[in-house]
Amino acid sequence: MTVRNAILGLLAQQPRHGYELRAAFEALVGGADMWDVKPAQIYTTLARLEEAGLVSRDSVEQDGGPEKLVYSLTPAGHDELAGWFRAGVATEHQRDEFFVKLMVSLYSGEADPYQVIRAQRNRLYQDLHDLTARRNGVDGRRELAQIFLLDKSIMHLEADLRWLDLLEARLDDIRRQPLPQPQVRPRGRPRKS
Amino acid sequence: MSLISAVNLTKVYGSGDTAVRALDNVSLQVEPGEFVAVMGPSGCGKSTLLHLLGGLDRPTSGTVTIDGHSLSDLSDARLTELRRHKIGFIFQFFNLIPVLNAVENAALPVTLDGVRQAEAKERATKWLTRFGLGDRLDHRPDQLSGGQQQRVAVARALVADPALILADEPTGNLDTRSSEEIAALLRQVANEWGRSVVVVTHDPRIAAHADRIVFLKDGAIVDQTILEPRDSHNEAVVAEKMMAIGD
Repeated sequence: MTVRNAILGLLAQQPRHGYELRAAFEALVGGADMWDVKPAQIYTTLARLEEAGLVSRDSVEQDGGPEKLVYSLTPAGHDELAGWFRAGVATEHQRDEFFVKLMVSLYSGEADPYQVIRAQRNRLYQDLHDLTARRNGVDGRRELAQIFLLDKSIMHLEADLRWLDLLEARLDDIRRQPLPQPQVRPRGRPRKS
Repeated sequence: MSLISAVNLTKVYGSGDTAVRALDNVSLQVEPGEFVAVMGPSGCGKSTLLHLLGGLDRPTSGTVTIDGHSLSDLSDARLTELRRHKIGFIFQFFNLIPVLNAVENAALPVTLDGVRQAEAKERATKWLTRFGLGDRLDHRPDQLSGGQQQRVAVARALVADPALILADEPTGNLDTRSSEEIAALLRQVANEWGRSVVVVTHDPRIAAHADRIVFLKDGAIVDQTILEPRDSHNEAVVAEKMMAIGD
């Protein structure tokens, strides 16, 4: 949905060709390193948007070259874009591999959960170190997207580290309690008594 | 040779049933030019460790050696002298003297040490200018922002040309932006001027500037992380991390 809505916004700015859209998107997010969008994704998305009546397509003749397809935003597309700006965006924090790893260590007894937390903390500190060094080297006037994203990542890392501290502090309590066991129901119809 | 070598440090406060073991058999080496962050929950022994490393307190058992001098062999007078020449301290509260201006505050440790006024001020001015305070030299603390006051405090810690800087929550009293500046400054103190820096902090963003993080819990070192310097050619890897963290 992100790429789709960004395309609507970029077309609201001005009508564009497909490859021009891709370049504009990459500039917006701070470079292809940040978010590498494939041409196929741009064209499939444009086709769907056209089908939904949110963008329109025109052929434009070029001097001595083949015709080019130029896309522009329809009034319905404008409404869609306005709706996107009005609404908040949900963030995904549930599916966390580290969290699952910690729970597996608690259930299986195959690893010391304290050690699992420490390994994760070491990893996050290394990431924080890398991003902080990078943040210090970024030119705040020219690389705005990078600054925004680096700040976001740094702040997320801080929160994750605080969360690890909390987990570690609570682990003693948690380990004294029985772990919730899965409810396994017999398959098939219940037997008649 | 390590600049600091702490071996089997134990510190017990009180005695008998009420004795509290603030530090339990902690050993730590710090190399010249190394920046070490000490982290851990409140009451884990961070500040006790810093006080023992700086000779502000004596351990119940164990030894601290700084630049070849064993602190336990020194008399109180010699210990004070070693502290003045080898160690610079930075605290959470900047502890600047309100009636003195930036230069006079920063020059204070060497003025007390008998260095001529003119030379002391010249040294202080040199550090303050390096820290971007060249146009604030005659400002008193109440005319400076928190971040600027802490930079004066860092200059004061360096003015006697110590090999070691010890900082106890140096950014605890600063906003995020000033904290970042002080952390970057301490990084520079280690990198460019080759001083060893040991910082006690609870702030991960300060610790992120260090070469190594030591984690204390219940008076013992439970973990250490060595932070690899970022490879500038590895931007794509960092970008990938950012994406993974961001969404």
